[in-house]
Amino acid sequence: MRKRTPAASASTSDGPTMRAFASASRLVTLAALGSLSSGCATVAPQQRAILADPTMQFDAESKHEAGLRHAIENREGSMGGNGVAGGGCGCN
Amino acid sequence: MQLTAHRLRFPKQRGAARVTQAAKAARLVACAACAAWATSVTSVRIAEAQVVDFDTSHSIFYEAPTKTHMLVYTPSVDVTASPAPWIGVRGGWEADVVSGASVATKYGASYQATHAADVITAASVHDVRNMARGEVTAKGDGTSVVAGYAYSTENDYRSNSLHVSASADAFQHNTEFAISYARNFDSVCDRVQTETSPTRFVALENSVGCFTHDETRTTHPIAIDTFEASWAQSWTPVLETQLTYSAELVDGFQGDPYRSVILGEGIKGQEHEPNDRAREAVTARVAWYLRSVKGALRFSARGYTDTWNIQSAAIEAEFEKSLGESLRVLVRGRLYKQGGAIFWSDDYTGGAPPLGPRGQYWTGDRELSPFWSWLGGVRGVYAVEPQRRIFGIIESLKAVGSFNVTGYSYDEYTLGGIPVSDARAYLATLSLTLAF
Repeated sequence: MRKRTPAASASTSDGPTMRAFASASRLVTLAALGSLSSGCATVAPQQRAILADPTMQFDAESKHEAGLRHAIENREGSMGGNGVAGGGCGCN
Repeated sequence: MQLTAHRLRFPKQRGAARVTQAAKAARLVACAACAAWATSVTSVRIAEAQVVDFDTSHSIFYEAPTKTHMLVYTPSVDVTASPAPWIGVRGGWEADVVSGASVATKYGASYQATHAADVITAASVHDVRNMARGEVTAKGDGTSVVAGYAYSTENDYRSNSLHVSASADAFQHNTEFAISYARNFDSVCDRVQTETSPTRFVALENSVGCFTHDETRTTHPIAIDTFEASWAQSWTPVLETQLTYSAELVDGFQGDPYRSVILGEGIKGQEHEPNDRAREAVTARVAWYLRSVKGALRFSARGYTDTWNIQSAAIEAEFEKSLGESLRVLVRGRLYKQGGAIFWSDDYTGGAPPLGPRGQYWTGDRELSPFWSWLGGVRGVYAVEPQRRIFGIIESLKAVGSFNVTGYSYDEYTLGGIPVSDARAYLATLSLTLAF
């Protein structure tokens, strides 16, 4: 990523918006192509027993884990990958 | 459910209006309880056989970097009801009860060497964040749509958050797409500044008078847009992946109104950060079931970048195994590394005289500094669904307990030139879910 001067880091709202939109478009396109190509690699319903097991779920205990994610994100300068819902700061 | 990371830190000083806060908390609890009660009663009357879930969770967070002892207790209660098979309604309340200390004036080694100041100028932190939330879910055959709202209040912060999300299955449930969007309309309290130059801005001394007609107080709006899209795919009977893209735009006051930074000889200015920030992250996750040990391995990798030039990477591994019918245990590890913000410095003195600050922005936020961290944790889940209801009313029960430890290693962040060497954080959580 191009290094910016401190003065330039106060970017306008249009720049980041367009940049985020472009990145999202690229990722959506990639995901669409990937999912279409995976259409023939399906798992039959009678083979899904293990996939339905709680140990195979990415967010099986998402409510319980919310506090951990909240604590992690408020001690790091980054975000993402854990959903968008919520409210408030609570970031002491 | 939590909004992804805001860039706001609001340590409070002594003297906050705690009685008023308690009254507000009581009202919020009452509102949440009424909503939950109304939800459950409605659903029971419509169809007595329908399930009502009651969730409660309690967390203790303790952090002990040098001379600060941040303790946060987080209770929450949620009630979820399904008045009809195609709809679910949830209402809940959550709080953060915070106490400890935080840095009020940040300076580096050079200032410490010439002024023999305190290693850390600490301010007491006592606050309660209350949040009431509600959510409606409409479910179809392989699809779902969710809409929700959350309102939270602190001594010096107000938040209104709307969120919507949708998901759909495809290819015989082997593929799932999900998108979600949240919009926050927040506001933060600040001191009315009499000077025009940010180098002369004075930090907020406490939260007394915030969100009242006090002429010494003002508020700054903060708008936060968060978008997320994910694609999950089952590849084999034992292998599943998920790819997630997250983006966030933040527009508004993003500094800490309570914190000052030493900018030069005799100059102390309120923390000053850019108002705009765009953030992006891509997360890839894999779940792989190992038949030989009857457990699942899960890996996660995340890359992140933003317009403040913070770039980071996080990798995480979990192993979860069922022990019998009712018990599951998990162990996890996580590594994280980030670069600092473009304007980050441990010492802003040494700029052009007479004002002195190096750069247009200044911050004492250690979360914007370069550092790496590790995390280790365990979790146990006990779930039972007996053939006969417990006490005649409880259809199922689930108890979850977890304990996590995090360590931080700061490359440049110091307190008056002294490295922060014992930055550890501990989080213990206990949750209980009852289905009626």
